[in-house]
Amino acid sequence: MEKPKKKQVLLFHCVEAEELALKVAAQSDLIQLQSINWRSFDDGFPNLFINNAQDIRGHHVAFLASFSSPAVIFEQLSVIYALPRLFTASFTLVLPFFPTGSFERMEEEGDVATAFTLARMLSSVPISRGGPTSLVVYDIHALQERFYFGDTLLPLFETGIPLLKQRLHQLPESDKIVVAFPDDGAWKRFHKLLDHFPMVVCTKVREGDKRIVRLKEGDCAGCHVVIVDDLVQSGGTLIECQKVLAAHGAAKVSAYVTHAVFPKRSWERFLHKNDGVHLLLDNGFVPTYCESHRQQSSF
Amino acid sequence: MSAVSPSPSILLTSTKPSNETHKTIIIPFIKKPTIPTIQCEFRSFENNSSSYQNLIADSSNRIHIIFKPPSSSPLTTASSMDLSIKHSKRVCLFYCSEMKDLAERIASASDSIELRGITWRTFEDGFPNLFISNAHGIRGQRVAFLASFSSPGVIFEQLSIIYALPKLFVSSFTLVLPFFPTGTFERMEEEGDVATAFTLARILSNIPISRGGPTSLERFYFGDNILPCFESGIPLLLNRLQKLPDSDNIAIAFPDDGAWKRFHKQLQHFPTIVCIKVREGDQRIVRLKEGDPKGRHVVIVDDLVQSGGTLLECQVRADGVLQSGFSKIIWTFADILRSLRDFSRKEKVLANHGATKISAYVTHGIFPNSTWERFKHDAGGNPENGMTYFWITDSCPRTVKQVENKSPFEILSLAAPIAAALQV
Repeated sequence: MEKPKKKQVLLFHCVEAEELALKVAAQSDLIQLQSINWRSFDDGFPNLFINNAQDIRGHHVAFLASFSSPAVIFEQLSVIYALPRLFTASFTLVLPFFPTGSFERMEEEGDVATAFTLARMLSSVPISRGGPTSLVVYDIHALQERFYFGDTLLPLFETGIPLLKQRLHQLPESDKIVVAFPDDGAWKRFHKLLDHFPMVVCTKVREGDKRIVRLKEGDCAGCHVVIVDDLVQSGGTLIECQKVLAAHGAAKVSAYVTHAVFPKRSWERFLHKNDGVHLLLDNGFVPTYCESHRQQSSF
Repeated sequence: MSAVSPSPSILLTSTKPSNETHKTIIIPFIKKPTIPTIQCEFRSFENNSSSYQNLIADSSNRIHIIFKPPSSSPLTTASSMDLSIKHSKRVCLFYCSEMKDLAERIASASDSIELRGITWRTFEDGFPNLFISNAHGIRGQRVAFLASFSSPGVIFEQLSIIYALPKLFVSSFTLVLPFFPTGTFERMEEEGDVATAFTLARILSNIPISRGGPTSLERFYFGDNILPCFESGIPLLLNRLQKLPDSDNIAIAFPDDGAWKRFHKQLQHFPTIVCIKVREGDQRIVRLKEGDPKGRHVVIVDDLVQSGGTLLECQVRADGVLQSGFSKIIWTFADILRSLRDFSRKEKVLANHGATKISAYVTHGIFPNSTWERFKHDAGGNPENGMTYFWITDSCPRTVKQVENKSPFEILSLAAPIAAALQV
């Protein structure tokens, strides 16, 4: 069966994802960067203009979004709602990090699951000539969130794990690596992709008021342990895992997270100290935090 | 304040069977005949193109529109008041933080409206951490949410509540959005323009359906050039004008034809003045088109004011030539500076034509960057330098906080009209 022809893609992007967009375009001749004028009116509402709107007709178009805070959602959403209606051949929304992903449960009536809000807003994206919009998300927090989207959206859930595997193979001690999961959720999400590595699983146990991280299964003595998870917020859990693993004899501890949220510069606690955690981050995914920690060692 | 009177209007509902799922949008004061249709046409100022409201109709394909025809006869006021008393139902009113004052006023305007609380917190990453208190207690109740989208940053948290409330087994859900921002940014004049009003309309038309069926969306208005707007504001103005000592010497002035089209019917018992923008070369000039301000207390009426450039121009004039610099109605710093410069140098259209006092009424005082400061008070005798009164409603709470108790500003509260509308 003949493989479909490679397609040329016009890539628009939000302001904060510019660096990643440049890297993406550099990867392939078929991807061409486009631009948008991002201004605002005096009342704070966006005044946007999509450049060369006529020229994108009949082309495959994509938008690289980044919802690092609620305030930037509206302007990007306006562009996302507008692009598919400019007679594009197809439209793909790339949202590497789906925020609110962890706030998707109603445990008590009255809880407001903001993941649902975002999914709903995205489900209103108009269809283009190419049909429903493809939505590309990396390592979404809860797999069932796939079902939050209506049929006007085709979710394409990808993962950053192959990048990690590539990096691990480059390490000198790649035969002495053990992968550790901070909880069962992370194990469920990732173990199949990493099953050729020995594994350790941690778990949180309640002792009175406190919750303590314990090793549930696996052995890490003398190894370089790499803790794997989809996202890190302030890093508290990671640090506790590190201590437990060190206590069980790990020779080195590193961590990989696809999305580094690190509110309020909490990444600072991970700067290299002796016996500290060496963090491997997928820097592209949460752009606002990248600049500040790029220069620090250990990242 | 005088006795509360609900907005004079008759509600005409369609007789379509109620088992159809549909959304209901209550739009006060539309001039078109009252046949509920799925598509609604709104004339915009420049041309007859349908505005983004059509999108709300189109996208769900099952919109019911309830028209409230304009009505100023005392008879209908009395009958609609009876109607509201007989059928008064308890409403649980939630609200966003910035609308707290207006929400309290609404609750005190009616016995059947009860205020409810939401806990508004944020997670460390900035995303909202919300909790609707006593969610069980609203089951089977009529629920409303008073929203205010004063800036893009506050939309997401309010939207989360708006999407969540209808799903809590409420008997009906009403969204009250007194001011619909982006309303003026609803045209694509050039391909590439992004009409943000379209974004907001889309987001709102996706509100989940509740047990009571469609969400009622109370918008008091859209900005200029879109709808023959809000009528719930004008009764407030009429009420206020009646109390003025010179209430028999008032003339209403409209800053442009659009405002005249929208409001003249509700104000037809006052003498009318209409201004107009005329093109002279590159510039657009404000001129008096019809009417005579001589010796009168002139009240300029419009639905919204951003920087106040247009209003000032009506008030201000320079030898018949004044630049507004607008090609479409946009409010930018450049315009403010230009107008201020002209203001200081020249005289006023209305003052120049003999008006003894000048006041203004706008429903929504947006005033970004404190532009309200340009409006000075005229204590008497100097209409070219200031206004006697500048009335705005409390639809934009941030402005209200800045201008309350500062002459010439006076706030007319939407509490009573909203309380009445919640009974629908």
